[in-house]
Amino acid sequence: MSTASEKLRASAAEALACGRVSLVLGWRKKDFWWQSPVAFVEAAAEAEQLSFDPFSVYNPVKYLLEATECHEKVGVFVKGCDSRGINRLLQDKRLEREQVLIFGLPCSGKADPAKIRAVFPAQKIREVAQEGEELLVRLTDGQERVAAADFLLEKCLTCRHPNPVVFDELLWEPVPVRAGVDVSRFARVNSVAQKEILERYTYWARQFDRCIRCFACRNTCPACNCRSCIFDQAEPRWLGKASDLADTMNYQIIRAFHVAGRCFECGECERICPAGIPLQEMNRRLIMDIDKYFGPYEAGLDAGDSPPLGTYRGEDPAGFDES
Amino acid sequence: MKKIAKTKLQELWRCLSAEGALYLPVRSDSVVDFALWQEDVPADLETLNTFLPPKKFYYPQTETVLKYEFGENLQLLDASSQAGEKTILFGVRPCDTAALSLMDKVYLSEPVDEAYRRRRENTVIIALGCREPEETCFCQTFDIDPGKAPGADLLAIDTGTELVVTAQSLKGEELLVALNGVLQEATSGDEIRVKDVQEQAGEGYLTRVSVHGLAEKLDTCFASPYWDRLYRRCIACGTCTYLCPTCHCFDLQEYAAGHSGERVRCWDACMFTDFTQMAGGHNPRPTQKERVRQRFMHKLNYFPRQHGGEYACVGCGRCVRQCPVNLDILEVIREMGGAVDGQ
Amino acid sequence: MASNPLLPQVAVVTDVRRETPDVKTFRVEAADGRELFAYRPGQCAMVSLFPVGEALFSITSSPTRIGFLEFSIKETGVLTRALHEIEAGTEIGVRGPYGNGFPVDFLRGKDLLFIGGGIALAPLRSLINYCLDNRDDYGRVDIIYGARSSRDLVQREELLVNWPRIRNTGVHLTVDVRSDDWDGNVGFVPAFLEQLNPAPEGKVTVTCGPPIMIKFVLQSLAKMGYQPEDVITTLEMKMKCGIGKCGRCNIGDKYVCKSGPVFTLAELQQLPNEY
Repeated sequence: MSTASEKLRASAAEALACGRVSLVLGWRKKDFWWQSPVAFVEAAAEAEQLSFDPFSVYNPVKYLLEATECHEKVGVFVKGCDSRGINRLLQDKRLEREQVLIFGLPCSGKADPAKIRAVFPAQKIREVAQEGEELLVRLTDGQERVAAADFLLEKCLTCRHPNPVVFDELLWEPVPVRAGVDVSRFARVNSVAQKEILERYTYWARQFDRCIRCFACRNTCPACNCRSCIFDQAEPRWLGKASDLADTMNYQIIRAFHVAGRCFECGECERICPAGIPLQEMNRRLIMDIDKYFGPYEAGLDAGDSPPLGTYRGEDPAGFDES
Repeated sequence: MKKIAKTKLQELWRCLSAEGALYLPVRSDSVVDFALWQEDVPADLETLNTFLPPKKFYYPQTETVLKYEFGENLQLLDASSQAGEKTILFGVRPCDTAALSLMDKVYLSEPVDEAYRRRRENTVIIALGCREPEETCFCQTFDIDPGKAPGADLLAIDTGTELVVTAQSLKGEELLVALNGVLQEATSGDEIRVKDVQEQAGEGYLTRVSVHGLAEKLDTCFASPYWDRLYRRCIACGTCTYLCPTCHCFDLQEYAAGHSGERVRCWDACMFTDFTQMAGGHNPRPTQKERVRQRFMHKLNYFPRQHGGEYACVGCGRCVRQCPVNLDILEVIREMGGAVDGQ
Repeated sequence: MASNPLLPQVAVVTDVRRETPDVKTFRVEAADGRELFAYRPGQCAMVSLFPVGEALFSITSSPTRIGFLEFSIKETGVLTRALHEIEAGTEIGVRGPYGNGFPVDFLRGKDLLFIGGGIALAPLRSLINYCLDNRDDYGRVDIIYGARSSRDLVQREELLVNWPRIRNTGVHLTVDVRSDDWDGNVGFVPAFLEQLNPAPEGKVTVTCGPPIMIKFVLQSLAKMGYQPEDVITTLEMKMKCGIGKCGRCNIGDKYVCKSGPVFTLAELQQLPNEY
């Protein structure tokens, strides 16, 4: 068993045993090699289930909203991306810093099951474990080692903050930022931007046409933390329930604008979208524009900073007076 | 029994498209889903689960049930009589075919849903047997044979370089006649190869769970503390319900402008807060716990109780693969008492 | 040819009567003058106001009064607010009847105790008038009814004038809040019930009201010795189709729109507590 998992278990067990927290959010393994859902650990003895493996991806931060309602203090394990979600909730006044005990986990990237399935027959895979910079793939008929970097999730390839930006304890040494992320971060946006405007519309229409309005993107997003969402409102109903392309665009574009300047690029919306809609391209497009008009800004790095779209500055480009 | 070389499938599809609107699994961007056949767009006959199950052809995510004019006089126009253009579905998997018979129990029971019935009547299903289950497949749990699809009009079996096609209904036989020009007679050798593929298909399951006695067991599990633990991970999205080939709950909504409008039926999900929220404010399922419980109890207890013991699940594995937080029916079957052997 | 079960019939609102500050009773007749449909007391119908929407309401008229349907509707949401704005002559859509209705044959020959609160007199009224119109078929009838205040008593004329005049029939009213124009009982329905303490022998009770009232009335009835088989109530859930397909009004394996809304306490005890 990896030492990373052991460190998680020890930290959680200790925090629960001495009563610093009454709940710890981490990850555990489930039935399949690629399943590492969030675990809710409420007693030191239950900490054994915790695991940190190539698939401990899901951002546990949004669960803090409900968890802190019935627990005075909650422990949470966060990767770099997850930690920025905590700053998101702090800055949006949806969480108090003293309500959470943050265990930081420097992370050099998580594995994409689809990339692994493309190389190894899925039926034969029993376990995929991280060993240093390699993935150890245990198969029904043997095992193989491959470079973990070749199997990274798309979102990890563009990650600029692999180390937690807010934490109480760091469980191991920080890791280096991947080379070339500043280019890869906007590569897809640039490629879409190069399309002619009609072609660009066709592209997005085709993507949004697949949207089934399951709202997984919104529900998973720590920046979507409104107590009640306008799109759920029945009176007046802003969003029809029928699967109509105009309404879907209405939903997706308004959501993108609502998280603009607050999206901290965890990429979970895109990763979990069952329809494979490249949502991160929209979020990053808005980040590009914010950088251009308001100066470079990355959300979720500092809960005390002044977000460009949440702060008025005299030198901001004028908008209202230009007719 | 007839057959066709896989290299000649474009010809087959061209003929089929002359018989009705032909839909088959096609990859678009990263997603494989049933789409209208187009010359030169390759079909994907390898992927087992399409993004959406073919229920969308019978029970579309959005459909007009009623049109109205409400100016001087109120006039109501039944929209169901327009439903049901001649449609051919190619490559429907056995689990999804079986799911339609469960859907029938809801929509073809009295009072019969006319739009659904018309679509069912005017659609020909050409099922494609599976050669090897995926890791998330557990159709066998519900006695579905991955090499057979008794509810389909035609069954195609991939024997390697050819598809061998058998008619299983009158509609299927009629279609075979229309396809005479492109199909060849199958040989006794083909028959043996088909049997081999079918037998092998049932052997590769990685996921073996049993639902034997589960509905009865769940009779007493409504108040179980199990649900208190299970739901916490749920983010209340509609992925599991919308991707499920047996989920059938809907909402009715109005779309109107000026003096005319439409009443539209659209998919709804028991995972959503407003699903049972009443106008006066009362909600009998106030938290996600009750909603998660409702979904699994509906599939594994209420539906069997209403429909002669049949579970509202066909083991396609879409929810297992797609749930963002890995909260799926397989877990509930395992943990609520379905016997486990294998992985 | 089969028809679309979600397709309403066109009907005309022929009369709108204000009952209380937030309740109106609508009389509805078929646009072509025929009968819309036959129904039993306690059954419901889907009422559509175009283009606002559709919802299920219990039919408050009795099938013994031929030629029309009546719905008593409280203003609570978007649709009911819009309904409160319509006038006589408005065309609406109606489909039904839905649900099981009250077991009128089971009730025959027995003494009846009706217990109602607020707008939930609506389904009871259908049965009360049915029984009183077939007076010889039923034993003594007692009606206990409560509202928030004297202004909130629905069907005031029947409660105060018509029903008490009928032989072997008693009406017992209570309000939650005292007011100058009220010299009757003040207090909640369950307490009033215990105070009146009607003996359970030979009696069947039918209770309709807000969930909290039903809860305490059922407790009181149990305390007073009523058997679960002789305690009848109605449930309310959000419904979209009324025909057991849209999948949201179930309690356990029973769809309230088909198997309900009328249940005996004995039946309810067999169902999960989710209402």
